Parts: sequence; structure tokens; C-alpha cells
Amino acid sequence: MSYCVNCGVELDATASFCPLCHTPVLNPGQPVDEHAPKPFPTQRGEVAPASKRELALLITAMLASVAVCCGVLNLFLNQQRPWSLYVIGAAVMLWIWFVPPLLARGMHLLLRLLLDVAAVAIYVFLISVDLDGRSWFCGLALPIILWGGAILLLLGLVLRVYRRSVLTSVTILIGSVGVLLFGVEFFLDRWLSGSWEPSWSVVVLAVCAGLTIPLLVIRRVPSLREEVRRRFHL
Amino acid sequence: MAKDRRGGKPEWYPLDNAGVLYSAIQKENYSAIYRFSAVMAAPVDPDALQRAVERTMPRFPSFAVRIKRGAFWHYFEPNHAAGPFVKPDIANPCQPVRFQEDNGWLVRFYYYETRISLEVFHAVSDGAGALVFFKTLLAVYLRELGHIIPNTCGILDVDEPPRPEEREDAYERYATVKARRSGLEKKAYPNTGTPEPFYTLNVTMGFLPVDQLKARAKGYGVSITEYLTAVLLKVIVDKQHRERPRREKPVALAIPINLRAWFPSETLRNFILTVRPCIDPSLGEYTFAEVVSQVHHFLRLNINRQQMQALLTGNVKFTTNRLLQIVPIVLKNPVMALGYRLSGVRPYSGTYTNPGPFPVPEEMAPHIRRMEVILGQATNPRVHCASISYGNTMEITFAGTLQETDTERDFFRFLVREGIPVKVESNRTVRSELMF
Repeated sequence: MSYCVNCGVELDATASFCPLCHTPVLNPGQPVDEHAPKPFPTQRGEVAPASKRELALLITAMLASVAVCCGVLNLFLNQQRPWSLYVIGAAVMLWIWFVPPLLARGMHLLLRLLLDVAAVAIYVFLISVDLDGRSWFCGLALPIILWGGAILLLLGLVLRVYRRSVLTSVTILIGSVGVLLFGVEFFLDRWLSGSWEPSWSVVVLAVCAGLTIPLLVIRRVPSLREEVRRRFHL
Repeated sequence: MAKDRRGGKPEWYPLDNAGVLYSAIQKENYSAIYRFSAVMAAPVDPDALQRAVERTMPRFPSFAVRIKRGAFWHYFEPNHAAGPFVKPDIANPCQPVRFQEDNGWLVRFYYYETRISLEVFHAVSDGAGALVFFKTLLAVYLRELGHIIPNTCGILDVDEPPRPEEREDAYERYATVKARRSGLEKKAYPNTGTPEPFYTLNVTMGFLPVDQLKARAKGYGVSITEYLTAVLLKVIVDKQHRERPRREKPVALAIPINLRAWFPSETLRNFILTVRPCIDPSLGEYTFAEVVSQVHHFLRLNINRQQMQALLTGNVKFTTNRLLQIVPIVLKNPVMALGYRLSGVRPYSGTYTNPGPFPVPEEMAPHIRRMEVILGQATNPRVHCASISYGNTMEITFAGTLQETDTERDFFRFLVREGIPVKVESNRTVRSELMF
């Protein structure tokens, strides 16, 4: 039998190291028995992921019920306007946001974000149908939604794929807000006046840049980074 | 309550006080599971074990249940599905349970070489109830192999029908006095570490001779449970001290107490309460003898019938509160889980449970080499400690979902320094260069 030289405990004949201090067993008098069965099985068991179908069904039933009730009510109340489209659109949007991720576990982030953006576009489209606003939907709302979606996609991929610190994440987030608003003004200007004259969004962009520059400096300088880590540790 | 057509017994029944809590804190990656194992003298015959399970389960209807979600509370109903089936053992025991999977079974049976293991979801039963079930199962298994085992030492007769007293909610029966709820305790040193990836449970077992352990405990004038509690407290206090925090937090353990000794009951369901021995290092340094003395006096002072009855009444009153009852389960469970975090996790540095000796009939003793117990994962990456003795072997298990081995290493080293020989086994297979 072997004993751990650090812990003084007797070890199993099959143990190649002490499980308490991880010191390897080196006993020329009694080498590690590699043929005897280990004290515990080595085959790992897998836990089945918990099913979310019930919750998905419940959410679907609730949203469908709300949509149908409002749709039917629209036939009798204020018939001249399709006001129920607001509620139905919201129900569809919420369904797309919450139910597919529950049913398809491990859904790719890209696909999920695409679906979410499409859901917002559908909702706004339904609103534009009621307000007879095909022109503002195509000229303003859709480009802004797509622009926001593209930034969100990029943000999601960057934050998910690369190992990042809290500092980097905050820097990227602030930068994204600046870029988003810059684009929003571009689309607004183009739709309202047909030309692009950057004004308030440049101020926002400058503020965002001002906020990110010190963060970038801290991120790049190891001594500063360490100092921040020490002072703000949780 | 619906009636069963055959026996006229209730078809379903609500969870007991502890069961309500364990079902509320159930998550996708956490279940309150524990395991008892018996290492037999001969390799396990899986067919005989399966036959034994099939003969034993009908005698224990409180284990042959599935858990269902009602609008306001979970409840149990008899499980008539096929199984449970014995399975080859796995390296990562006490996996979370899925209420909808595995035919809804809340007990699992495993075999590996000479080891038979039983895993139980804590809402079904506590350790004392599960040990009655396990002992009966082992007796039936040995009978299946041709041995003659009498129904003594707590083994139930599987040919008898189950008795209603075995399924009683003992908490409710004894919740008859003025209630008292303990307020929120101070936050304790959490003793957490680096979490392992899901699902890994690192198990380290130590085997000690009971006579030497008893002699050592007797030297301090305390019981084995008190002695081991003090050792665990002392090593955690020292660990915190080595980390040099700005202000040392109290170190406290949750010690489950089997209430059957104070309140006669034959229930095989939950009937436990926990006590909280605590050492506050901010008051100054404690020698080991002082820690032992603190633990001894704390347990003797606080474990008494009146105090425990007031506490259990308080817990029962909490679940019978009209306002709380009408809150839907989807809202109630997160609140109860938060309550558990604040009152069941935050004020503790760990858990230590000692179901005590495992007496068996003389005819059965030669077939069992030793007993083992594993307290499953905690809600955060910390180790749980549990012990059980059989014959002259005391088995102590540290199990947790953390990478570090500091607590168990210091604990067993301490016992070795006290002059008690310890043999260690573990399911850890990866040697980390960073560990020492």
C-alpha cells in the first residue's frame, strides 16, 4: 500500500496521485496497479437537458388566445379600423422572441437575432398597414430596424466569439450605441430632406468616443488594468 | 383528495415541509440528491438486484412516486410506470433529476463491481427513511442470492402491506405548539471554489477505524459527530484565515437532525431540521479544544424537544399561510428559492450530516464490507460532508462541484495528525499540476 508523502493518508492501490494534494505516487516497492478496477467507475453519465416544451406550449396558448380574442372583438368593436393588428403583431413578435429558443435549445445566436429582428420588422409593418404608412415603413422604419439588427448581430458575435473582459465589453457597447445613433440620423435625414447633414448624432458619437478612449487606454496598459481590477473587484 | 380504487388510500398527497423547499429550489442544473452505497463482499448480480428492486418498491409506496406540478404546489402521485431499472454506475453521481424523464422516477439504482448504490431526490425522503428502504433492499437482494436474512434491525417485511404511518407527514403531526421562526442569520464564510463544468461532481472518501475515532472523540469528552463537526469547522476557519480577508466572517455548518429520536414517528418521508453550530473568528483565535467545546455545548443546548418543535411549527405555519397558498407556483418557487439562498445558503459555510451507524442482522453482516454516503452537489460550488459507519469503518465523504480540494485535504490531514489512520479514495481522475 502507498501513502501520500504530503498528507499521510493511505491511497488506493490504483491511485496514481493523491486525490487530496495531487502529489504523484512514486513507490518502487509497490507500483500503481493499473489492472485492478478503480474504486469508482470512469464512465461519465450525461444529464438530459430539461424539456421546455410545456412552457413553450403555455406561452403559445396564451399569446394565441389573446390574438384570437382581439381579432374577434375587432369584428364588432370599431370595425372600420384593424386595431387588433397591434395586439396580434405584438403577440407574434413575443412568440418569435420567446418560443423558438425554448423549443430549439442551442439555437445559433445568428439565427436567433435574425428571427428577433424579423419579428420587430413584422410588428412595425402591421402598424404601418393600419396607419397606411407604407412609405415611412419602407423609407425609414425598415432601414433603421435593419441597421439596428446588423449592429446587434455584430455585437452579439463579437461579445460571444472573442474572450473579452468587462472593460472590452463596455467599450464595445458604448461604441455600438454611438454608431447606431449615427446611422439613425443618416436615415432620418435622408427620408426627411433627402440629404445628409450630420448634427446631433456627431455629438453623441463624440461623447461615445470620449467615453471609450480612456477605457481603451486602460485596456491596453497592463498596470492601469491591474489597478482597475484591484479597486473595482467584486 | 382522490381515493385509490383498490386500497381506499389517498391517490395523491402533498409534499411535506422539507419536500416543498427541495422541489422549489429544483433547477435544470441542480437537484437535492443524495446517495447511499453498500460495498458488498462479492460482485453485484444486476439481475438479482433488479428482482430485489421489483420486490421492494411496492412495500415502499412513498418512494414509488412521481412529482407533479399543481397550480399552487407540487404533489406526489403513485408511479405505475415501468421501472425503476438498475443501471451500471457512472463517474459523476447524484446528477440532477428531471421530473418528466426516466418515467418520472425519483429514485435511482446503480451497480459497479461490488457496490450497490441508491440515489434519492430529497423531496421524497430524508436519510433515515432512505436507509430503511436501502437496508430492506439489501436484505431482499441477499435473499435473492439464496441467503437467509431475518426481518430485524429495521428491515421491513416486503410481504406485508405498507402501513399508513410510514407515509405520514410528521411535520404536520407535531406542528402543534406556538410557532417560532429563526430570523436571518449573519452571512458566513462561503468556502466556495472554482466551479467544474456541468455536470461534474468530485467525490473524495476517507475511511477511518471507528474505535480509534471514538477514543479520540472521547478524549475531548464529545461524541463522534461533535468531534467531526469541530474538525470541519476548524479547518474551514483556518482556511479563511490563510486567505487573509480584511474581516473574517463567521464559519457555520448546517447539521441536519433526525427528529424521530425526539418525536416518535415511523414516517419514511422527510422529518429533519438543521442546527447551525458557528465559530466567529472575528472574536479571536480558537484552539481546536475550544472549537470542540463550543460545538459540544451548542449542540447540547440547542437540540431539545421544545425548541425543535417550535421551529418545525414555524416552518409548517409558513407553508399553511393562506396568503402564500394562493400565490401560483410559478411565482412562489422563485421567491422560495431566494428565501433558501438567504436563509439556507448564505449563512452557512457547508453541510455535515452523519446518519450514524448502520446496524444489520448478524446473518447479513458478512455480505457487506462497508457503507458509503454522498451528499450531492450544493447550490454553489462548495463541498458537502457526510459520514456513515458500518462495523469498525467510518466513511466520510466530501462531494462538490468545485475543482479545489482544500477542505477535504486539510480535514483528512488534521485527522492523520490526531493519530487516526485514514485511507482515501476519489473519483478524481485528472491530476492538476496547479493543485499543490
